[in-house]
Amino acid sequence: MKSLKIFLTLVLICLICFVIAPQAWAFCGFYVARADAKLYNQASQVAIARSDNRTVLTMANDYQGEVKDFAIVVPVPVVLQKNQIKVAEPKIMERLDAFSAPRLVEYFDPDPCAANEYRFESAPRPAAPAMAEAQDAMKQRRNLGVTIEAKYTVGEYDILILSAKESGGLATWLVQNGYKIPSGANQLLQPYIRQKLKFFVAKVNLQEFDKAGFQSLRPLQISYESPRFMLPIRLGMLNAKSAQDLIVYILSPEGQAETTNYRTVKVPSDTEVPVFVKDEFSRFYRSMFQTAYNREDRKVAFMEYAWDMSNCDPCSAEPLNPEELRQAGVFWLDSDRPSESNQPFLPRRPRINSGVFITRLHVRYTRDRFPEDLMFQITGNRETFQGRYILRHAFTGEMDCKAGRQYVRSLPARHEQEAQTLARLTNWNIQDIRKKLPQIQSQILPWWEQIWLALSGRI
Amino acid sequence: MGFNDARFDQILFLLLFLGVGIATRDWTLRLGMIGAAIATCLITQAIAEWAICSRSTDSPLNWTDLKAKLPSALITSLGLSLLLRADHYSTICLASVLAISSKFLLRVQDKHVFNPGNFGIIGALLLTPDAWVSPGQWGAGGWYVLLFAGTGGLVLQKVGRWDTTAAFLGSYAGLEAGRNLWLGWTWDVWAHRLMSGSLLLFALFMITDPRTIPNARMARLIWAAAIALLTFVLRNIYFLPTALIWALFALAPFSFVLDACFPASRFTWQRSTEPAAPTPKPDQPTLLPS
Repeated sequence: MKSLKIFLTLVLICLICFVIAPQAWAFCGFYVARADAKLYNQASQVAIARSDNRTVLTMANDYQGEVKDFAIVVPVPVVLQKNQIKVAEPKIMERLDAFSAPRLVEYFDPDPCAANEYRFESAPRPAAPAMAEAQDAMKQRRNLGVTIEAKYTVGEYDILILSAKESGGLATWLVQNGYKIPSGANQLLQPYIRQKLKFFVAKVNLQEFDKAGFQSLRPLQISYESPRFMLPIRLGMLNAKSAQDLIVYILSPEGQAETTNYRTVKVPSDTEVPVFVKDEFSRFYRSMFQTAYNREDRKVAFMEYAWDMSNCDPCSAEPLNPEELRQAGVFWLDSDRPSESNQPFLPRRPRINSGVFITRLHVRYTRDRFPEDLMFQITGNRETFQGRYILRHAFTGEMDCKAGRQYVRSLPARHEQEAQTLARLTNWNIQDIRKKLPQIQSQILPWWEQIWLALSGRI
Repeated sequence: MGFNDARFDQILFLLLFLGVGIATRDWTLRLGMIGAAIATCLITQAIAEWAICSRSTDSPLNWTDLKAKLPSALITSLGLSLLLRADHYSTICLASVLAISSKFLLRVQDKHVFNPGNFGIIGALLLTPDAWVSPGQWGAGGWYVLLFAGTGGLVLQKVGRWDTTAAFLGSYAGLEAGRNLWLGWTWDVWAHRLMSGSLLLFALFMITDPRTIPNARMARLIWAAAIALLTFVLRNIYFLPTALIWALFALAPFSFVLDACFPASRFTWQRSTEPAAPTPKPDQPTLLPS
């Protein structure tokens, strides 16, 4: 009984420690055009490296307009110091994307008349939405209740950290300082101001940009400590006409990440599709994603990949090396790994753990189905998952044996199955799909010969 | 366990939810895990009953007594399966053992200090690296809200503890409405937060366990409102995704304080095994004097 009391006391102490640690944070702003250029951020990529309450957030957007017209406003939990803001390597988002993207794999059927052999290779992946980023300018007006907490130039960006007392003041301040904010921003800024969030405002310093000679804007990376683990998508929906795509790469020392206020659903995976999909994989994936999105009533977050960063099977790109992981914001590899040191309370089978687990979430959001900002949590779930689609090439060489004839006879059914799978996944017309299937039967035997052979038991 | 035992309904409904969840919600729930939870809970219950009986000289363990106790263990195991996720079987087994043991080891005046399922979940979260709870697993809104409300209503009507759910949901909705108003969010944000399947399941099936909640109605109202307040604080100020579970865990022991302040009869499940008692009305459980 005494040991039980000690145990209970410990449990309660843990509970109290867990509960004490406030603060707040957030991301994902709307673009603010200075000129009349219509800016819509249709797709964004965000990498979040998080361990305990420490977070490194890398933001990249698909901004395609004039660099001088670009600005971004992001709610952040604290006033960021200059060394908490960095410009990340543009390649790093491409690497994360390449490593985690849904993939097509192909297998080649062996000669049914010979010994078994097979190989596979990974085929092209659908490119994730491209990225870009930019910003804008401003001056201080204290009478609007807006305070410039800090002002930095980092790389090609001019950065301001603003705090505001009320949303009208902040909106007016942004307009007066040359930012064209979407209508409705006024009301939407208020909840963030009330939660005492600061506003990270970044625009392009054209001189620096020209000097460096970049073709596109590099991702911005910020570091901070806060228990709040969220992305404020509400601001991003202000200047978007249609559904927007957000791809979030969450890197953690533990396991899978998931959304806590929306369902997290795995994309359809591990299905065999007709081989012609190889030539139109991007179109296939877009249709398949849209179909899954509609089927889930357009209100879930999709998991496209979850894996330990040390390996992949099959690999669509090499795993990131330690230097690249650091560039992506992973900060815990040099120190103790929390997940390892925590608690070998029960005997466990050994498992691969490089110290970094990646989850790729794809959220397609609209105002009506995603009223709340996205909240996340990291779990201890180390189950791996990948969006993977399989092509099986039929054997086309000479086959002169019973097994060969059986194999050929089985092909139409297999192709039909693949066609139906494809139609179900993508909502494409089954007749159109069938037209693209390999014409096996007609090449092989006339129907009367098949009947005769079947009757005589030769096939 | 007779058909008029509310536990029968509860087992049926929890099984239904598990089936619905696995079939329609894309859960990463393995059947083996559910089996492990059920088996561990039942075995732990049986061993604990046997240990208690072997200590007392007068009554050896008999099957009828055990049979009357096993449904509760089954409910706990189904509740654990619905809420707790883990990478390893050992974690689920640990949670199950903790849950059932807590009923025997942590009791005051023959009443459980903690809700067994809740205790098992907290134990697994604290002691293992691979246990987690997915608050978003049901999503928000949808036909299953009606399913939860309907089935939960049936059980609560039998048990007579609907007041706890009403007080919890009412207080929580009020607090969230206040926050929504203050922040200036549109009302669909509020509705989205309240339509969470996990919240409803918790309010209808977890906090209403009659063996752990206060006996008097007034005490239950206060207790449920306190859980709502703590949940609200943990969720919105400390950003804890599993705020509900922690709030219930932290406040469960206070039901004894409330019982002391508001004396009332204690609840028992065994309506059907009390032939000497006057026949209860169909919508009221028999209450044993404390």
